[in-house]
Amino acid sequence: MNRTQKFVAVLMVLLVTTGVAFAQAKKPTIVVMPKLVGIPYFNASETGAKKAGQDLGINVIYTGPTTADAAEQVRMLEDYISKGVDAICVAPNDPAALTPVLKRAKAAGILVLDWDTPADKSVVDLSVHQIDDVVYGQHIWDLLVKEMGDSGDYAILTGGLSAANLNGWIDAGLAYAKTKYPKLRLVTDKIPTDEKQQVAYQKTLDLIKAYPNLKGIIGVSTPTPIGAAQAVQEKGLKNKIAVVGTALPTDSRPYLEDGSLRVVTLWDPAKLGYLTVVLANNMLNGKKPYDGQEIANVGKISVKPDGKTVIMGPPTDFTKENAKNYAF
Amino acid sequence: MKKNTGKKPQARFQSKESVLFFIFIGIFVLMCVLSPQTFLTWRNLQSMAFQLPELGIFALAMMLVIVSGGMNLSITFTAALASIVGGVVLSTMTAAGMGPTITIVAGLATFVLIGFLCGALNGVIVADIGIAPMLATLGTSTLFEGVCLNITKGGAISGFPDAFLWFGNASVLGIPFPMIVFVAVVVASYFLLERSPFGFKTYMIGCSPTVTEYSGINVKKTLRIVYIISGILCAIAGVLMSSRYNSAKESYGSSYMLQSISAAVLGGTDIAGGYGKVVGTVLAVMIIQVISSGLNIFGINRFITTVVMGAILILVLTINYISSGRKASSK
Amino acid sequence: MKVPQRLKQSREFGIFLILLAVCIIVTVAAPSFFSIENLFDILKGNVVLAIMAIGMLPVILTGGIDVSVGSMVAAITIIVGNFLMKGSDNILLAFVVGCLSGAFLGLINGLLIAKLKIPPIVATLGMMSIISGISLYYTNGNWITGLPKNFIDFGRTTLGSFYQQGDEMIGLPVQLVFLVFVAVLSWFILRHTLVGRGIYAIGGNRVSAERVGYSVDNITVFLYAYEGFVVGLAGAVHTSIMRQVDPNAFNGFEMQVISAVVLGGASTLGGYGSVIGTLIGVALFAVINNGLILMHIPTFWQKIVVGIVLIASISFDVTQKKYWESHNTKVDIEEA
Repeated sequence: MNRTQKFVAVLMVLLVTTGVAFAQAKKPTIVVMPKLVGIPYFNASETGAKKAGQDLGINVIYTGPTTADAAEQVRMLEDYISKGVDAICVAPNDPAALTPVLKRAKAAGILVLDWDTPADKSVVDLSVHQIDDVVYGQHIWDLLVKEMGDSGDYAILTGGLSAANLNGWIDAGLAYAKTKYPKLRLVTDKIPTDEKQQVAYQKTLDLIKAYPNLKGIIGVSTPTPIGAAQAVQEKGLKNKIAVVGTALPTDSRPYLEDGSLRVVTLWDPAKLGYLTVVLANNMLNGKKPYDGQEIANVGKISVKPDGKTVIMGPPTDFTKENAKNYAF
Repeated sequence: MKKNTGKKPQARFQSKESVLFFIFIGIFVLMCVLSPQTFLTWRNLQSMAFQLPELGIFALAMMLVIVSGGMNLSITFTAALASIVGGVVLSTMTAAGMGPTITIVAGLATFVLIGFLCGALNGVIVADIGIAPMLATLGTSTLFEGVCLNITKGGAISGFPDAFLWFGNASVLGIPFPMIVFVAVVVASYFLLERSPFGFKTYMIGCSPTVTEYSGINVKKTLRIVYIISGILCAIAGVLMSSRYNSAKESYGSSYMLQSISAAVLGGTDIAGGYGKVVGTVLAVMIIQVISSGLNIFGINRFITTVVMGAILILVLTINYISSGRKASSK
Repeated sequence: MKVPQRLKQSREFGIFLILLAVCIIVTVAAPSFFSIENLFDILKGNVVLAIMAIGMLPVILTGGIDVSVGSMVAAITIIVGNFLMKGSDNILLAFVVGCLSGAFLGLINGLLIAKLKIPPIVATLGMMSIISGISLYYTNGNWITGLPKNFIDFGRTTLGSFYQQGDEMIGLPVQLVFLVFVAVLSWFILRHTLVGRGIYAIGGNRVSAERVGYSVDNITVFLYAYEGFVVGLAGAVHTSIMRQVDPNAFNGFEMQVISAVVLGGASTLGGYGSVIGTLIGVALFAVINNGLILMHIPTFWQKIVVGIVLIASISFDVTQKKYWESHNTKVDIEEA
């Protein structure tokens, strides 16, 4: 097998002569990891995070798995831990799954933050939320009732089943509905879509088939309401089924126009990305956030009494009328 | 397609496996040179030692079946099912407030039991009913996946006792525990496959089931045991995985199936059965791990790494083909 | 030959009976199953699977396997999507681009397998990594949306008027035309050309096929390229249905395709299988899925049901073959 050995040797020599040791400028490096890359919501947060990196003069690596897979997130983070970064900000697809790797990150001296969706509280140094989960959940249900009335069949489409932020809103909303809207009937358990619009579309078609009396659909996780609206529009049922949820105004516009999507509520994901990087950088420099702090380009944040939970601000509702005013 | 050319075992060992060894050394050195400060660090070596065992155990589970002339497409879902049922046991007992030791013992026993049962099912379908292994395990993998989903409803099982995290995340004297488990599995596999009558029978069956049958060996019984062992190995990998992710889900490990076939084939295992060395598979797994970690540290995009792996697989087989074409004159 | 004829009648017919039985069960449990609207939905939802299964059939007939189809079709959708966005919005051209790209990828598979003698599972495994790696690198998981309107409208066209929905009359999805085209083409090739006969011959007994004079290598290259061509078509069709491109849409899809082909009675043991059988297999797959939804059974059960049906149908296949072999033993031994 001399031929192979020679081949490998030649390859080595070639690569050695071309492989220059890259000396990295010693800027702090912050890894920002979303649930997944490739969907508009997280593309928008990427813009915000990268801009913060530019404004602050630090290295921001924005990367994540291409599917909402917790195991993939763990593997990627393990690689970054061995590479040696200064801070990790992650939106975990499953908080329990990421606990061991985040613990290892802390043991390696890396700052750990969660953003967009919480990780295990004991493991993170800071938890960046975009809104108050309970208030948001209740608000979504209010929106649904406004569109479909307070009685009838409805269903919930969610992103990943283990995503703590989505579950937080759903649980809050369901608890709220139990007391305030007792005549609402949830036809089946929340349906996962893995943050895929196509799956939401397919599942909505299935729902319409299985439950002909369906009057409302709540879609949490940004691709979901779009997929659901797509299905409702295709079936010509926009007057019968009310679709509400969390989505970006630009994606929602075509469906808001004709009513297959009634109203969506969200915040500016770019701001969230920006805020996360700024807070991480502050923490690296020893500055903790405080309640009422004014952050440039973001606004006033609130910090919960535990000192670890930051809330960016209240949500905004997007309807047929105002969706065109927003660029995200 | 390929049959043993009747060369002495020693000569064959020197040809295929030592090449792998040289390739491994070569690539390792290459990675050190490409990323001097970060590759050859204790932290990175440890990290690789944490990641490698999962693929390694899956590769051995796959290799065993390939050597017997088959293929086990259900390895990842066997591991997932073992993890999920074991996980349910772990989380229920933890929630009921039982002590960590008894919980973990019961959990581990469950993992192994499920691995055993899954393997037994495969074995019966392949050996007794006689369905082609690839199709049989395709069917059982769909079945196992369905059972997994039915239990978890698409979510993940969590709520394990903290002590359980130890298996996948702790180090003993600086050596990660998974690596220790892996070494144990490698040694056991070596003795089982290459130094025992059972292993010998497995090789024979891989070469030619009919001849083996006529030699008076109980082919069915051996095959059943092969799949059972494969299943138990998957369960062990499942333990490491669920400890590493602190949860159990049917999708964990799904990427390992095709990677383990790659590792087995890269390691010199003949896909038609009848030949395969444990050391070859281990070297192949090490090569894959070093490439993956090295490229990542160097900063290459993960997807390019995937492409590189695929290209290497094809490249190595091409080299095998060219070299065996030069040597062999028979057909 | 009379013997295979009878075998064929029993196999495909048997699966067809299973299909009928399932349809009846589902209709009883959920009458909305048997509505035209529902049946058309099933059709549209599974046409891509059907096209790909037909493409996979020749590969399985020769005892090979192709696990790269999932990544291939995803790559094709990316190519077609990019072509529509950046090249021209000519529909025909888009389809041609899809088919040719698919054929090209399939050709590479065929060459690896036939000329370099790499076992099919390994070659297609390697290709799968390479193709999906390149696809994901190029797109980074990003979707392609906002395809040209004429393409979207084309995807929505229907033929004939069968039922009412909202204010419109709905007909057969246009994608059905492609399915029929592929089915007829494949059927013709398999049954009425020398190449097709060669495919069955190789599957039956490779050495015999060579001795009879078939060029096994060339046929192998052809059938993988043909499969690629069909997969390319499937990718273009998928894009016309979904109206957007998701690089991760087909993760794990290859297993579904293989399952459908096997469910349809194709056997890797004896060069046995047919286009009709494959279509029935896909139908069975689709009806089970749809039935579970209508009966409000969690879709997780689908996998269990499919797994069991798969094992059962293959068991049937194997025991049948053993039965025939024990009856033909004398003849075989004499010839060998």
